[in-house]
Amino acid sequence: MADVISTSPMRSDASPPHNPIAELLTPEGTLTAEGERLAGVSDETLRELYRLMVVMRRLDQEGLNLQRQGELGLWGPTLGHEAAQVGGALAMRATDWIFPYYRDFGMAIVRGVDPGKLLTIFRGLRHGAWDPHEYRFAPFIIPVGTQVPHAVGYALGCKLDGDDTAVLTCFGEGATSTGDWHEAMNFAGVFKAPVVFLCQNNQWAISVPMSEQVAGRIVDRAAGYGFPGVRVDGADALTVYAVVQMAADHARRGEGPYLIEALSYRLGPHTTSDDPTRYRTEEDGAAWRAHDPIARAEERLRQRGAWDDAFASACQREADERAASMRATLIAATPDHPASVFDLVYANPPQTLLRERDAFVADLAPDAPQEGH
Amino acid sequence: MGQFMLPDLGEGLEEAQLTRWLVQVGDTVTLNQHLCEVETAKALVEIPSPWAGVVEALHAQPGDTIPVGAALITIAQADHAGTVAEAPLAEVADGEGPVLVGYGAHAPAQAFSRRRRSIAAAPAASGATAIRETPAPVAPVAATAAPPADESAVKASPLVRKMAAERGINLARIAGTGPGGRIRVEDLASAPVSGAATLPVGVDSGEEETRISTVGLRKAIAAKMVRAASIPHFTEYGLFDASRLSALRQRLKSEPAYAQVKLSFLPFFVAALTRATHAHPIMNSRWDEEGNAIVIRKSIHVGIATDTARGLVVPVVRDAATRSLAQVAAECERLVALARDGRLDPGSMIGGTITITNVGSMGPVETGAPIINAPEVCIVGFGAIKPRPTVVGDALAVRPGAWISVSCDHRVVDGATAAQFMGALIHELEHPEGLV
Amino acid sequence: MSSATETATVTMGKALNLALHDSLRDDPRALIFGEDVGKLGGVFRVTDGLSEEFGAARVFNTPLAEATIAATALGLAIKGFHPVAEMQFDAFSYPSFQQVTSNLAKYHTRTGGACPMSLVIRIPYGGNIGAIEQHSESPETYYVHTAGLKVVTPSNPLDAYALLRAAIADPDPVIFLEPKARYWMRQELALPVAPQSLDHASVARAGTDATVIAYGPTVAVALAAAETAASEGVSLEVVDLRSLSPIDWDTLYASARKTKRVVVVHEAPIFMGLGAEIAARMMHDLFDALVAPVERIGAPTTPYPPSRHEKLFLPDADRILEAVDRTREY
Repeated sequence: MADVISTSPMRSDASPPHNPIAELLTPEGTLTAEGERLAGVSDETLRELYRLMVVMRRLDQEGLNLQRQGELGLWGPTLGHEAAQVGGALAMRATDWIFPYYRDFGMAIVRGVDPGKLLTIFRGLRHGAWDPHEYRFAPFIIPVGTQVPHAVGYALGCKLDGDDTAVLTCFGEGATSTGDWHEAMNFAGVFKAPVVFLCQNNQWAISVPMSEQVAGRIVDRAAGYGFPGVRVDGADALTVYAVVQMAADHARRGEGPYLIEALSYRLGPHTTSDDPTRYRTEEDGAAWRAHDPIARAEERLRQRGAWDDAFASACQREADERAASMRATLIAATPDHPASVFDLVYANPPQTLLRERDAFVADLAPDAPQEGH
Repeated sequence: MGQFMLPDLGEGLEEAQLTRWLVQVGDTVTLNQHLCEVETAKALVEIPSPWAGVVEALHAQPGDTIPVGAALITIAQADHAGTVAEAPLAEVADGEGPVLVGYGAHAPAQAFSRRRRSIAAAPAASGATAIRETPAPVAPVAATAAPPADESAVKASPLVRKMAAERGINLARIAGTGPGGRIRVEDLASAPVSGAATLPVGVDSGEEETRISTVGLRKAIAAKMVRAASIPHFTEYGLFDASRLSALRQRLKSEPAYAQVKLSFLPFFVAALTRATHAHPIMNSRWDEEGNAIVIRKSIHVGIATDTARGLVVPVVRDAATRSLAQVAAECERLVALARDGRLDPGSMIGGTITITNVGSMGPVETGAPIINAPEVCIVGFGAIKPRPTVVGDALAVRPGAWISVSCDHRVVDGATAAQFMGALIHELEHPEGLV
Repeated sequence: MSSATETATVTMGKALNLALHDSLRDDPRALIFGEDVGKLGGVFRVTDGLSEEFGAARVFNTPLAEATIAATALGLAIKGFHPVAEMQFDAFSYPSFQQVTSNLAKYHTRTGGACPMSLVIRIPYGGNIGAIEQHSESPETYYVHTAGLKVVTPSNPLDAYALLRAAIADPDPVIFLEPKARYWMRQELALPVAPQSLDHASVARAGTDATVIAYGPTVAVALAAAETAASEGVSLEVVDLRSLSPIDWDTLYASARKTKRVVVVHEAPIFMGLGAEIAARMMHDLFDALVAPVERIGAPTTPYPPSRHEKLFLPDADRILEAVDRTREY
């Protein structure tokens, strides 16, 4: 019994985790001048952030149009997430992995996934549309928060292999209510896994506002799991970029995970099936509409004297062209042969399934397109 | 030109209400220009144009509820609207069907479908009310066709096997009409049971036997009774005056035609029952669950419930209506003797259409409520004939008499019908001269 | 007001809404909670208007945490409330699986009967709405395989109302599966709707030539098949299970004995689905009452397909009729 009840007096055996990034942030969650200097973000990178956000917003709008035109079953708009997604994804090295949530359309664009192919998921053609190894970008996961522990597992593998790799995983504030999220945070803390948790806190989980979702502050959860956390302005791409990059480097150095809460606002509906007018007013998001990520990036470029109108219109032109191209790719996309549904259920398919597949194919109309198309 | 159908705007929605149009006929619209506003069960949404062109027709008015897949607007491709790369879209814009989720305004390039059911291959309508007493002729297996060596080699469902066992049908002798010669319920109806031609009465053909183990007889009786008792049936009772019947029997006993037989009351009961049944053919029917029909039999085959050392068996006096009283008497005597010796061949125990139970032969029993011998619809119990106080005119007299009980399948026979039948039966018994 | 008989044509979603409304009105211990059930009224609008009318103390949003939604329902039930918890979509009920199967289903036993779990977990389920992954699952077999749970599913607005009220009134935990493809199905209801028992199948259409056993989303499909069959002179009986656990064997057997042919239809995979249990029981109990093997229509052993292909995988009237043909040709 002596082991059960400690005779030691209560003592604090852990000081708050060292939080070097917090020292580089203003109370509003933007980089301090010292932070900007240390991060060393070039004009070129800032222009790249701007360009990608313009493209992302235009493609997102086209996704919404395509859904309203019946070309997509569903679309989850990303309006308001541009800075967090573009900044977060661009901050990671090409060799780093990203475990996104289902709204990370912008991250997919940054990672080079063909958006027209990505949209085939929402057209109901397939459940996954890219090779995660090719883009080091895991599939979109629909059940909220469940991808977060996957990232921890991959990061643990990186640590075990001694790779110079960091892992980024994204989720909304709603996900932080799930058990999987908390379990993943604790695992990451215990194993000191090289993972960066990027919460895109857009303040709405469908109709549930942050005040009904989160008690306390998300960023403060990190300390409970033994690693540092910072809350940043999620509409400021430069800050998100710099902070994620620093956190990834921290993880890469073996110093453990970081939690970044990027505060932003979901300006659109949760998905095209949602109707925000039932639970919030226009005024609710007014301040955030004014705090626009693209305008913020333009402002920073102008401050640096790195802005020019020709660049801006080139960005817009590229965005329009890519929107048309995305539309064309989507509409031209042919469904896989329906029997393909059987093909990848197992890496080593059992005979019973192959027989089911044969029966399924035999049951298709004789004039159906042949396999191999 | 393209007709734009209302898409499912929100995962399984079936319709939307048009709130307002944002364009008019004749307007030139660009790709993604908002055309109208609709309200679904989930949200108020603006619908952007899927094509550039000129609005040619609006297919709904504000306030209209439009089903998903119904035409919303027709937009003609305008030649001058070349600013938007629309070529690949225009090709597929014509003639598409209802818009489904994710299928969009542009018909999918590949459409997979399942092979449709071939209706020709479906069996012809069964005709639920048709009486299928004589379906397509199914001959017993011809002599040249080698029948399966035993019944286990026959293709038949468990139900068919059970029904065949109940009816004493040897499945190996039947040509099935199902796939691969599988024997179907309908094939049993045409099996050589009701037509005596192929089931020689009283011929003990080893090959024909459906051997019911005597050990299993009790079990078979139990199962049969449980099934029969589940049929809704009722019993009516009547008393008849046997004075003339007793006198007739005494007289006939001394006649040469009856010298060879033991003339009990049983042959008279069989004969009277046969005549009464002939007048009330509904009593000579069966309930066809398969066809949901009442099947009335032409021939009257009277089963005789017989107590044996091994249990109850029911040998059948076949074609009772065509036999003389003497022949009936001889047949009864022969069958009962074989039954008591346990030597009845199964062919003698199948195909009955109505049954007699002679409860009077069992000691002190006056009468009882017999359980019908399904699938037959009627069983008649005869009590003991003995002297009874009888009102004759205004005076009390002692005369021989007996109770009759008639049990019927109430799905087929109603109480009044049974009463009329009993009246006919009593009349035959009280005026027995016609039975001879 | 509610005593007067009136009729209203309502969708299944609205019928469920009425049932929740009337339960809140009649049972002061009834509570409704889940993700987005408050102001939004649920993603299928089933709880529309309820938080406004009954207040946020009785109808409230929860954080996004299905395991704890189920588990707080358990705690509230111990305290004597009658919680009606909503899972937003079928696949999103899986995080609560541990609580539902290990605790909800077993708490009554574990406490020697001292803590009945009078609560309902509502779960939209099934496919055919063109949804993305994880929104078209048929999880019923997971739940019927857990003793201690009752599992019911309506196929029409009338049953939706009656079964949900019966589920809320029931002393045991009820998994209430709502066929989301039928949320917008309309039916005229005579109000007030008469109470129904929770565990009875219904004969949705009487017939004589074969029995089609269906539930939830497939009942309408079976009825459509019966209509086609009737035009061909074939009389199909359609039995709507309504209760998946327990199963009303008496009604099933009576129908099977009458028609001697049985086809079971569900969206869930055939392998180990409800049809497997029905076929096995009939094999045993009605071995010599059928003229053909029990036919099963369902999904193959694959994940739910992308929505473009879902029609090829879902039961349709044609597949049902083919199965009927097989039983009749047997």
